[in-house]
Amino acid sequence: MPPSTRIECDVLVVGGGMAGATAALAARDGGARVVLVRKAPGSTGLSGGAVSVAQDPGCMPDTPFAARAGVVESARRIAATRPGHPYRLLRDRLDRLWNAVEFATGQMSEVLAPPSGRNRWLLTPFGHAHAAAACHRSMAAGDLAEVRGTLVVCGFEGHLGWDPGLIASGAVRVRALGGPTPRAVLLDLFRWEEGALGRPFDLARLLEAPGAAEEAGRVLRRALQRGDAAAVLPAVLGIDPATRVPERIAAEAGIPVAEILSDLPSVPGLRFHRAIEARLAAAGVEVLQGEVRSGAGPDLPAAVGGREVLARSWVLASGRFVGGGIERRGELRESVLGLPVLASEGPFADPSVRFAARPPASLTLRDSRAPQPLLAAGLRVDDELHPLDAEGRVLHPRIFAAGAVVGGHDPSSDGTGMGVAMFTGWLAGRSAAGRGA
Amino acid sequence: MSKVRSYAWLAWRAAVSHPLRAIGRRGTGEERFLASYAVERLAPTGLDVRAAAQAASACISCGLCESGCAMRAAIPAVRDLGLHAAFRLISKSDEMLARSGDALAACTTCTGCETLCPTGVPITRLVRLLSARSVDLDAPRRAPPGEPR
Repeated sequence: MPPSTRIECDVLVVGGGMAGATAALAARDGGARVVLVRKAPGSTGLSGGAVSVAQDPGCMPDTPFAARAGVVESARRIAATRPGHPYRLLRDRLDRLWNAVEFATGQMSEVLAPPSGRNRWLLTPFGHAHAAAACHRSMAAGDLAEVRGTLVVCGFEGHLGWDPGLIASGAVRVRALGGPTPRAVLLDLFRWEEGALGRPFDLARLLEAPGAAEEAGRVLRRALQRGDAAAVLPAVLGIDPATRVPERIAAEAGIPVAEILSDLPSVPGLRFHRAIEARLAAAGVEVLQGEVRSGAGPDLPAAVGGREVLARSWVLASGRFVGGGIERRGELRESVLGLPVLASEGPFADPSVRFAARPPASLTLRDSRAPQPLLAAGLRVDDELHPLDAEGRVLHPRIFAAGAVVGGHDPSSDGTGMGVAMFTGWLAGRSAAGRGA
Repeated sequence: MSKVRSYAWLAWRAAVSHPLRAIGRRGTGEERFLASYAVERLAPTGLDVRAAAQAASACISCGLCESGCAMRAAIPAVRDLGLHAAFRLISKSDEMLARSGDALAACTTCTGCETLCPTGVPITRLVRLLSARSVDLDAPRRAPPGEPR
């Protein structure tokens, strides 16, 4: 291979979601030369817009607004009750969790509102209240615990699969728990061709255009009544935060305007992805698109899309099933280095059980609220985030794992996904750059 | 007693009736499939289609590909369906495929979608295969098959 294709660096980060980006930026912050390899946006690109770090396990589900435990205190309670959770593993360093969250959200400050230390309660498209330590700037005014009066749940006429009435009727449950009174309003704003319907990315682009958000604000103002305290709209208020769509609507409507969390396809997810790309470029992290093909670890060259990367330390932030960090080909495997996948809690936590090769049906439980062994499957790591092999030994002192590839938590349901990504990414990035934690 | 009778019937079919019919057959399997099913607008599932269906099954319907689709803004048919919905037709009925022909034909193969797919679905390849397949499906409608071969 000609020498120009070889890149030498201090830290190679595999994966470009929240964990990988936080690790790369933390390592860069520590003065390391960092290369980040990623094949696609990863599951952060599918995020609904909430940064879920921890919600108080003691106050769910019937009294969400009674949760006055701060985010870090909630994480401590999770660490106390969930034996396999990464927070439990890192419990001696949980006092640094907030440093990690502030670092990561600060890096994304163009998109993310600064976190306050207490959870915001944001409405989901299914009418639930979801706890988020931080959220997109466009969502901050929709905190259900802060809105006093009527919450106007808006939709746009012709928005495919969006029914504000349904969301408002879901939000009535939140009202019984101390939330605002919801009221549904359909804004007739867009002219569609015969029979056509709008999808999220189209709506977001249309609203970015000059005059469109102002028109939306005027239509909203005409629909307002006495006692309306805030309006929440679908998460389509512009892809680029610099177009200031929510602010423009709010200025015309004369009422605080926020997006609610998104389902898929997710405009906030794309916004997140673009913010990460922009921040990595600005920080001087070299980003390579492609998959790590060959590469056994630190000090050995890894082939990535025609380039060769030689790194002193590796951070594995390749994600879980969506990101492709964990695959099932006959049995569960970690896809980059072929590490064993282990259960961290539940009936298969005993290392003598060959968890990865078990039939898939035995890894899911019929009770949908029970912890699902399959969804929490991942790498087992030690308290310095070194991946462990099948015998429980450290694989290599300069390989670290971060984010969803680390097992023991279920990013899809336990409300700690972004928090684990930021915390483990921050710790792994600092360790890989040689700064320790 | 009925069990014995059914097994005897199956054995007769396997040992006598099917081999006898096989002697009288003409043409390849694909030709015979088309002779029987082209009027119902069904196309045979070849190895390439099966491989494509396997690749499409990695789709998690996240819709990120749509944000990178250059034609999406211009073609209402793609917009209504969603790009991921369009290429997922690979495992759906051919009737639906025929109706999405316009959307599939609008693809400029810019590959903007593929770099955004978290699970690495080869979207451009699938769309190309599907549009070829939807053209195939139109053929029997224009020229109905003649006498069975």
